[in-house]
Amino acid sequence: MEREREMREIVRVRGLHAGYDEEEILHDISMTALAGDVTVILGASGCGKTTLLKHLIRLYVPSRGSIELFGREITSMDEPEFDELLQEVGVLFQNGALLNSISVAENVAIPLEQHTTLPPELIARLVHTKLRLVEMDQALDKRPAELSGGMRKRAALARAIILDPPLLFCDEPSAGLDPTTSAGLDYLLLKLRDELGMSMVIVTHVVASIKRIADRCIFMDQGEVLFSGTLKEAESSGLEKIERFFREG
Amino acid sequence: MLRIVLTGDTLSLAGVLSREEAGRALTDIRGRLAASAPGRMHLDLSGLERIDSAGVAMIDQLRQELQARGLEAELTRVPAQVSEALKLFSAPAAPAPTPQVRESLFYRVGDAAVKAAHTAWIMLYLIADTLYFAVVGLFNRRGIRKGEFINQSILIGVNALPIVALISFLIGFILALQSAAQLRQFGAAIYVADLIAIAMTREMGPLITAILFAGRSGSAIAAELATMGVTEETDALRSMGLNPTRYVLVPKFYAITLTMPLLTVLSIIIGIGGAMVIGYSYLGIGPKPFYQEVMTVLFFRDILTGLIKSVVFAWIIALVGAYYGFSARGGSEDVGRVTTAAVVASIFWVILADSLLGLVFYFGQGLEY
Repeated sequence: MEREREMREIVRVRGLHAGYDEEEILHDISMTALAGDVTVILGASGCGKTTLLKHLIRLYVPSRGSIELFGREITSMDEPEFDELLQEVGVLFQNGALLNSISVAENVAIPLEQHTTLPPELIARLVHTKLRLVEMDQALDKRPAELSGGMRKRAALARAIILDPPLLFCDEPSAGLDPTTSAGLDYLLLKLRDELGMSMVIVTHVVASIKRIADRCIFMDQGEVLFSGTLKEAESSGLEKIERFFREG
Repeated sequence: MLRIVLTGDTLSLAGVLSREEAGRALTDIRGRLAASAPGRMHLDLSGLERIDSAGVAMIDQLRQELQARGLEAELTRVPAQVSEALKLFSAPAAPAPTPQVRESLFYRVGDAAVKAAHTAWIMLYLIADTLYFAVVGLFNRRGIRKGEFINQSILIGVNALPIVALISFLIGFILALQSAAQLRQFGAAIYVADLIAIAMTREMGPLITAILFAGRSGSAIAAELATMGVTEETDALRSMGLNPTRYVLVPKFYAITLTMPLLTVLSIIIGIGGAMVIGYSYLGIGPKPFYQEVMTVLFFRDILTGLIKSVVFAWIIALVGAYYGFSARGGSEDVGRVTTAAVVASIFWVILADSLLGLVFYFGQGLEY
């Protein structure tokens, strides 16, 4: 059983300490995300969720601890090897992070143009396919500035999944979206998990969204992991902070 | 690894059809089927172990190309995993990009004229607004942030002092060096002082300061206003009943109107100082005779000419920066575009205004010549 679980661990963090300058933000974080699951990192604003996520994709370097993606330690990995590994990972940033100076289609095509040898006609077809999957194929030639917040996130999601990554990281996918658009994006993420078998690590504090998508929860509080388990276990954990989060969130 | 076998009218694909293989496979299959006659053919996918979205795109592309040549390609013996991927990723071809229509010359000239008129109209509004609020603001401080004038004077003026001083010194130094070499041949070395005093006071002092201000302050004004527009800060000001021109631009307008003439005077003095160094070290003219020569050739009207120019240049820089800043639309990339455009346009208009003012003072015979 334990062996089987270890086999499924797609993200594994052990004893992670990290911060900015002298201030430590994350204290002794340990967590795992399993293949095929949607793992949600939740907690109040400022608890270190996004900081943890950015360590998982090595945008920040931890002061101590170990981070493994697909069973490979990334903190000591050299740059070319890590760049190679990143092709197996998609990242959806909080505000989409589309490049404003180029069209939506050109944004989505970037990973294909940079990391594959596909001819232009196949790149155009794939871009169209992925934008169609996120229901954004009408916005191929639009600039990101011409899109609404929800549309930008969908387009950014198309870019994140363009290489069919087995692992997707999302930072606050519901932030700034109305409930209907937010729910639509959640169902889209679930569709990607079910149909592509994609594993996801999602940072959010939106309770409605957590209840829709979470297979497993990692509850953070003041830079520490307070709880780790299934959504049901979290709701009945008896921990006051978690219960209040779900009650008032 | 993908294996491709063509037997009669059946093309078999086996192995893994992923993004690493898709491009090469498409080229390979195109070559093999180049001579095929129109009709039906089968794409046997039974040997495919795995396929990703790039593989599906390859199959779609292949079928479309074959169809265009009258070859109907039917998928046969599709494994379950491949079938699911086909269902999920199969899509019609991306729409062809709309071709750019090149408008006629008359249309383009007319369009440019309409745009220029529109720009002039907006600019006139901005000038009127700024001057109105600048005058009103002298008597009524409502709608202008407290302490902003001092803050902007430091940012625009005081912080520019070292670079204006350094560049002015070097320009005075170089001008004196170049002219000294010529004038000393005629025993007229002392006239270096006259030349530099007049050139720095009437032209170079105001112009150097204006060009440096256009690069420093014009770009900063444009970038700040553009960023405020992109991040809806100007909308927020309007929603609070504040006029962005009055609240943001007018303090900068006051600051640049005050500090630019002051820095122009500094630029003139330091430029002449730079020439004095050449006079002393290269021509053997001591500081005292050099100073006396400068004072004999300079009149109040020369200084007034320079100061009038500096105020005009200051207004051009502030207003052009504001025009481009307020015109930013869209996202962050527009901030960079309008900032660059503001600097280029400011320098152009400053030099044009300098030429026009030169003509006015020359033919007006009032102030200068």
